[in-house]
Amino acid sequence: MSDLDPFTLEVVKNSLIAIAEEEFIAFGRTSKSPVIYEVLDYAVAITNSKGELVAQANGVPGFLGVLDLAVKDCIKKYGVDGFSDGDIIITNIPYTHGTHLNDVTLISPVFFDGQLIAFSVNKGHWSEVGGMRFGSWTTDSTEIYQEGVQFPLLKLYIAGEPNRDLFDLILTNVRTPDMTLGDMEAQAAALRLGGRRIAQLCAKYGPSTIARAMEAIIRDGEEKAYNELRKLPHGSFEAEDYIDDDGISDNPVYVRARVTISDESFIVDYSGSSPQARGPINSPYSMTIAAAKVMFKAVTDPQSPANEGAFRPVQVIAPEGTVFHPKPPAPVATFWEAGSFAAELIWKALAPHVPDKLTAGHFLSVCATIVGGVDDRTGEPFAIVEPQPGGWGAGYNKDGESGMVCSLDGETYIMSNEVIEVRYPIRVEQYSLNLRDKPGAGKFRGGHGIIKDYRVLNSHAIFTASFGRSKFPPWGMAGGGDGTPNYFIIYRKGKPPLKTRKAAAVQLQRGDLIRLVTGGGGGYGNPKERDQERVLDDVRNGYITAAEARAKYGVKVRRRSRS
Amino acid sequence: MFRVAIDVGGTFTDLCALNEVTGEIVLGKGLTTAHDFSEGVVNTFKSSGIRGEDVTRFVGTGSTLVINAIIERKGVKTALITTKGFRDVLEIQRSNRPDMYNYSYRKPVPFVPRYLRFEVLERIASDGSVVLKLAKKSVLEALRKARSYGAESIAICLYNSYANPDHEKEVAKIARGHFKYVSSSHEITREWREYERMNTTVLDAYVKPLLETYLKDLEMKMRELGIRIPIHVIQSNGGVAVLEKARETPILQVESGPAGGVIGARELGVAVGESNVISLDVGGTTAKASLVENGRIRLNPDYRVERTPTYAGYPVKTPVVDIVEIGAGGGSIAWIDDVGSLKVGPRSAGAYPGPACYGKGGEQPTVTDAFVVSGILNPEYFLGGEIRLDKHAAEKAVAKISEHFGTSVEEAAAGIIKVAAGNMVNLLRLVSVARGHDPRDFTLVAFGGAGPMFATLLARELQVSKTVIPRIPGVFSAWGMLMTDLRHDFKMTRVMKLDDAHIDILNNLFNTLEEEGRQVLTAQGINEVDMYFVRTLDLRYYGQEHTVSIEVPSGMFNRGLIQEITERFHKAHEKEYTFRLDSPVEVVNLHLAAFAKVSKPRIAVLQGDTQDFEEASKGYRRAYLPGVGFTEVPVYEREKLPIGNTKQGPAIIEEKTSTTLVMPGDTFKIDNFGNIVIRYGGVD
Repeated sequence: MSDLDPFTLEVVKNSLIAIAEEEFIAFGRTSKSPVIYEVLDYAVAITNSKGELVAQANGVPGFLGVLDLAVKDCIKKYGVDGFSDGDIIITNIPYTHGTHLNDVTLISPVFFDGQLIAFSVNKGHWSEVGGMRFGSWTTDSTEIYQEGVQFPLLKLYIAGEPNRDLFDLILTNVRTPDMTLGDMEAQAAALRLGGRRIAQLCAKYGPSTIARAMEAIIRDGEEKAYNELRKLPHGSFEAEDYIDDDGISDNPVYVRARVTISDESFIVDYSGSSPQARGPINSPYSMTIAAAKVMFKAVTDPQSPANEGAFRPVQVIAPEGTVFHPKPPAPVATFWEAGSFAAELIWKALAPHVPDKLTAGHFLSVCATIVGGVDDRTGEPFAIVEPQPGGWGAGYNKDGESGMVCSLDGETYIMSNEVIEVRYPIRVEQYSLNLRDKPGAGKFRGGHGIIKDYRVLNSHAIFTASFGRSKFPPWGMAGGGDGTPNYFIIYRKGKPPLKTRKAAAVQLQRGDLIRLVTGGGGGYGNPKERDQERVLDDVRNGYITAAEARAKYGVKVRRRSRS
Repeated sequence: MFRVAIDVGGTFTDLCALNEVTGEIVLGKGLTTAHDFSEGVVNTFKSSGIRGEDVTRFVGTGSTLVINAIIERKGVKTALITTKGFRDVLEIQRSNRPDMYNYSYRKPVPFVPRYLRFEVLERIASDGSVVLKLAKKSVLEALRKARSYGAESIAICLYNSYANPDHEKEVAKIARGHFKYVSSSHEITREWREYERMNTTVLDAYVKPLLETYLKDLEMKMRELGIRIPIHVIQSNGGVAVLEKARETPILQVESGPAGGVIGARELGVAVGESNVISLDVGGTTAKASLVENGRIRLNPDYRVERTPTYAGYPVKTPVVDIVEIGAGGGSIAWIDDVGSLKVGPRSAGAYPGPACYGKGGEQPTVTDAFVVSGILNPEYFLGGEIRLDKHAAEKAVAKISEHFGTSVEEAAAGIIKVAAGNMVNLLRLVSVARGHDPRDFTLVAFGGAGPMFATLLARELQVSKTVIPRIPGVFSAWGMLMTDLRHDFKMTRVMKLDDAHIDILNNLFNTLEEEGRQVLTAQGINEVDMYFVRTLDLRYYGQEHTVSIEVPSGMFNRGLIQEITERFHKAHEKEYTFRLDSPVEVVNLHLAAFAKVSKPRIAVLQGDTQDFEEASKGYRRAYLPGVGFTEVPVYEREKLPIGNTKQGPAIIEEKTSTTLVMPGDTFKIDNFGNIVIRYGGVD
């Protein structure tokens, strides 16, 4: 199109971004898997023909800037001329462009008039990809081979035709072939929709206009990013912390980061962090990069569109062989344990300098749980896989939020308990705020975690869970108190209650109860400076007791305000 | 004989009346009286000159009252009663973080603080069986505390009450002995999801006393004016209820304001023989779109008050017409972002200072300014000449854009229009393409002050071949209200496979729902002959979450019907989601909509007394058309256009409340109902 004016360019740019959103909606609504449609554990993106990110729509922040890495590796493998119209490539390789094996990426080249224009790519959590445990991810794997089948950038469809051998291989190696196939179908359908829409735009405006619009989006993103960078405090900022354990032993894992901000770059250096862990807590390098991108966005403009340019200032240094850059065949099934710390360290280092953007420490862990088995009522397998919400840290002008999903989760809906009870042989006996373990006190206090009780109504079930931040609670800020840990308690017939933080396929029977408990967030500022009305409100609402009001906040409660 | 609709808006109370004999439309306007809304309604009615005895239908809205009381937090102190173990659900909510990179996000604050949320001892299982009997003592204790803390209204939502409301009914009965205002979840909806149902009930209780007062006053005053017929109140489901019924469940009116336009578009579609319609309402600050397929208005299963892309909002689980909205309207401000791209909206210049051309001190370029600069909008004829627009001020404002891009002001104006239109196209795609519909199968009905200026630009982008601009597009929503049937919805979650084994259960449940519907309508004085019922099943593939609504015929279920519904579901699923599965099909919700036909005015058929476009001609105007450039465009006065004759575009058609743009290559004509019908590319 010769008469490309700046206004048409603007319209085309908006259309490209709208495609990602449209595809995102389609993916979510077609999925058979609750992890997709409720937890929104998926993302879609468009890249240009070089694999550079043009537009992305996410359900969770953790997938930010991982999809384009997969496309770039895909181009490396097949070469720009190695694709035909209708190809769909599948990958779940964690180390260079993924997260864990459950997160499967599909990529399709978009052609117009025989010319490669773009890539449509998406990524979603599959319920089952084989491996040593039901649901594939587990807390006790020691090498990746135990975590499921690996798909190293294979062609699932060749020029529109399904690669039957690969389908057979997948269906043979997973425990719930129907469910897995359903996940795959929905994902492929959404991918095709994205591709079709890009081709339609090409037909309307011409492929060169589309290419120019993609360039413009990336260029705008880059300019915006550097503008924002100039507004950040400059210098070097450091933080250190401990991950509870390596997944196998009880030994804490030391991690550290140094963030260096200048007009030119936002460098995160994880050197000095522990070597890769024996257990599956390792954060693949691509996840570590994604965490840095997420934090960059959080401290600059959280609402800005995500694209290649928007992250250009971000550089990540993580020596190979460390917990933030594991080498194959390191286990990575619960990658979010170290992955969340990759973000947390930046958060902790920068929070005092950008208090309007970052609060005190929050419960941090995804607190992922699986309850599964074979339903007595139907004879069919069931698995409820979900994150748990917890308490967030207080900010310089607000109390922490209570019962909210962690920083790596996003537009993630915790499943409705009434729905759980219909679908699974479980009774939810309480879903409350965690008022036993009090969040960090402060001028502004931390938010509350939750307590959820699952009673098993089935003859038999297994329980897998990974609760991080169980030994080292969320940190307070500017004089505010620390938060409280995440943990769970398993009550089984004939056994003493087990209070712990990790479970790998623990056997349960009818009548057993699991109590999930998430921690409260850190406080902000000196508790003695807390507004008296707020303290009295907290007493009235039962968030704190009158005794706590006096001891922590120095506020005497007259009888009337007690409830 | 007049049919009268009155809408209480934030600033103005508007009246739209239809003379059933002549087809003439009478408009009235008065100030909204916030201290007592019924007063403004009376004043507005009086100003119209219509006599109370001559009113054959009266439709009012309290839409703004309900939504504003919620948004401005002006409801009453409300207490919640729920099952032991679940009182914090209102605060935990669904725990999502829509603004996912914002780590200072604030969750919605519950409308009932923790100290007013009470737990009672009882427990129903998911299959409806009783696990723990209701302890009445705990109910009395809760009510006593609620009273002592000063609660005025009680919301009751017990866990799993959708499966068996017995305990909830018992609690409600006891509560009504102690409190005047009680809302009980099963009386509002019997769908699952405890947080959503709980919040819906809480919001209902929160606004109930306010709405009760308003509707009581309104009724009394209308009777004093001599209006004898039952007063109808519009609901968010696109239907009306008689006033006495509407008082019981105010939350059903939460989003009733914009519903009128969609209903109007549907009715207009029926009149012109188009059952597939996209309605587009472009006002000062927003563009609202909705889709009508096969004459059916779509409902939004996931409506939330105050929701934005970065805020979770508050779910309301009652039927709400599915309207998608963006911040793009006549007042939307054009601006350059920090990297030099042109953006339009979502910020609006509002009514004050308004667009620069209003001359009230606005300096930012708006969409209206762009239309003035481009020559499409006549500055001398805005609101029929009541307000003279300042073209010079508009040019000065738009120059901020043109200087940045180094273009002429006209080019920049066209650019602003293009970008705004692009946003609207994406909106329209969202209600059509993203849900599996091809916009080419639909007729676009565009209204609101700014809708007719954009309509043909959008039709081109979406390749919609037929666009209809109704008469007096500025008050089309009120006109739509006059066309509304009575409607009550009954929805119930009952998860089961759709198979022969469940035929009896389906028959029984639907019969029960229909009986309830019949009772509710009978109680409103409706005759059996005027009632009709529409049954819908929300179906899904076994194991899937999201449902597809499939209308099912009235009458008994049998094997054949189950098969037919199953096949319809497969087809609908494939259409909306691109694939079908071999999995069994599962019922999630049964939905019965009970309607009572309201006699509708025939839309008057107009007889043209002229064949001549000359008489309507206001000469030519040099206008800069988006995508075309400078063009000499013939200008017409809408009222004087001949009926039935087709003319080539381009054209600008002016009327008092709006201006319609017809692009080159399109054709237009006035149909027998007085609508402007525009054909994209001249296809007829």
